[in-house]
Amino acid sequence: MRRRNVFALFGLAVLTALCVVSQADALQAQKAYKELIVTVVVTPSPAPVGFLQHDAAPPSAPAPAQVAQQLADPFAPLQIASSGAAWDVAPGGAVQIAQSTAQPTPVPVQFVAKPDPNANFLRIIPHTNTINAGYGTTTLSCVFEVFTFYTNSYKLLDWGYNTSKTSGSNSGTFPIENYSMTSYLSWAVPSLAPTFTPYNNSGPPGETTWTGVANQSQQRCIDLTLVVPNTQPAGTYTAVVQYNLYVTLP
Amino acid sequence: MRAIAAAAAALVLTAALMPPQPACAAFTGSAQLNYKILPTVKAQIIPNYASGFGPTGGLGSGSTPAPGPNAVANGGTVDFGNVVVGYQYLYKYAAQIKVQTNDSAGFVVYGEGATDFNGSNPVPAPATYPIFQTLYWLLSNTGNTAFSPATSFNRTNGNAIAGGSGGIDYSPVGGVPSPMSVVWSSPSAGNVTQGFDYQLRLAGTVPASQFNLYIVYTVIGN
Repeated sequence: MRRRNVFALFGLAVLTALCVVSQADALQAQKAYKELIVTVVVTPSPAPVGFLQHDAAPPSAPAPAQVAQQLADPFAPLQIASSGAAWDVAPGGAVQIAQSTAQPTPVPVQFVAKPDPNANFLRIIPHTNTINAGYGTTTLSCVFEVFTFYTNSYKLLDWGYNTSKTSGSNSGTFPIENYSMTSYLSWAVPSLAPTFTPYNNSGPPGETTWTGVANQSQQRCIDLTLVVPNTQPAGTYTAVVQYNLYVTLP
Repeated sequence: MRAIAAAAAALVLTAALMPPQPACAAFTGSAQLNYKILPTVKAQIIPNYASGFGPTGGLGSGSTPAPGPNAVANGGTVDFGNVVVGYQYLYKYAAQIKVQTNDSAGFVVYGEGATDFNGSNPVPAPATYPIFQTLYWLLSNTGNTAFSPATSFNRTNGNAIAGGSGGIDYSPVGGVPSPMSVVWSSPSAGNVTQGFDYQLRLAGTVPASQFNLYIVYTVIGN
C-alpha cells in the first residue's frame, strides 16, 4: 500500500513538472524575425595620397632662347603629317583608336513590393549598408536602428546568421565566425549601455539585445565595432545578423 | 623626201627584228603593306538563362517567393514577383552575357541601371526608389544565397534612351560608363560567357508598389 502511494506521488510530481515546463514554453513565442545584412569591404592600409620621386632632377627653367622660340611658334619643332615612314599613323603609342563597343538588349527587372505584416512589431532601419574597414578596429555609430513593439512584454534577441549552427558547415567565415571563435563584429546599444558585445555565433536562441514591457515601442540605434585581423585578405564580406522578437503570450 | 622614207622604213624594220621586251620589266619590285585589323566586340544578353531561374529567400517574411509572370526561360524579365519589404531575395540565373571579340587585349563589361526603380500601380510618392543598395549583382554560383556578398548596381550618369529600353547614351559623359560599374572583364580575345545572379535587398522604407527598371550592359574592348 505504501509502495503504491510512493508511485502515485512520483507520478504526480512528474506530471506537475511536465505541466510547468510546457506552460513555460507556451508563455513565450517567436513573433517575428528579421535578417540584417552588413557588407564589409576590407581594404589594405590606406594608399599614400601623394608620390614623390626622390631621385628625379628638379625641374629647371627653360633657356631664354627656348622661351622666345616657343612664344614665336608654339608648334615648333614642325610636325609632318606624312613623313614617308612605314606608317602614316603608327599603331599603339600615343595614337588612340576608337574602342569598339557593344550594348546588347537591356535586361528588364521588376518586382511587386508588398507590405511587411510584421512591420508593426519588428523593423530594421538601415543607415550604413557598407562598412569600409582597414586592418585594425573600426567603430561606427548608429549603423542601423531596430524598432520593437508588442502588446505584451517581449524581448529582442540576436545571433549571427550564416554560422555553422544555422547555415551548414561551409559558413562561419569572417566576420561573425563560428563558436567557439569570438566574432570580430560587436554591437552596442548606446542608449542602454556603452559596452560592446561580440555577436553571438552559437546559434539560436542567441543573446538578449533588450527587453520591453507591454505596449512599449522602442527604436534604438545599434553601434558596431569591427576588428579586421592582419591575416584577413582584402575583399568583400557580409555579416548577417538575425533579430528575433519573442513575445509573452496572453 | 626619198631619204626620209628610207630612214623610216629602216626604223620599222629594225624594230620588227628586235626581240620582244617583257612588258613591265622596268617596274617590278616589292611593296611592304602594313595594316591593323580593327578590334570588334559583339555581345548578347540572355535573361533567365538556366532552368531553376527565379527568386529565393525572403526568410522570415511568411511567404514563399516565386517568379513573376513576365519571367520566361531564356528571355523576358527578371521578375521577382511579389516580395515583402524589409526582406532579402536572390534571383538565380538572372542574366547571362556572351561576348565575342578579336581584341587581344580583352574587354570590360559594365552594368548599370538606366534609371532608378520606377514605381507604378499604385504610383508611390516619390515615384522612384534608388537602385543603389537595393539591387545587387553577383556571379552565378550554386552556393549563392540571399546573404552572399554582392555588389550594388548604380544608376547611370548617362542618358537613358526610351526609359532604358533602348539602352544608355554615354556620349554626354565621355562615352564610357563609370568605372564603378564594372561587372566583369577578360584579358584576352575569344568567345566567353558569364552568368549573373541578382539580389534584392528591400529596406523597410520601400513603398508598396510595382517597380521596374532596365539594367544595361555595355562591353568595351580594351
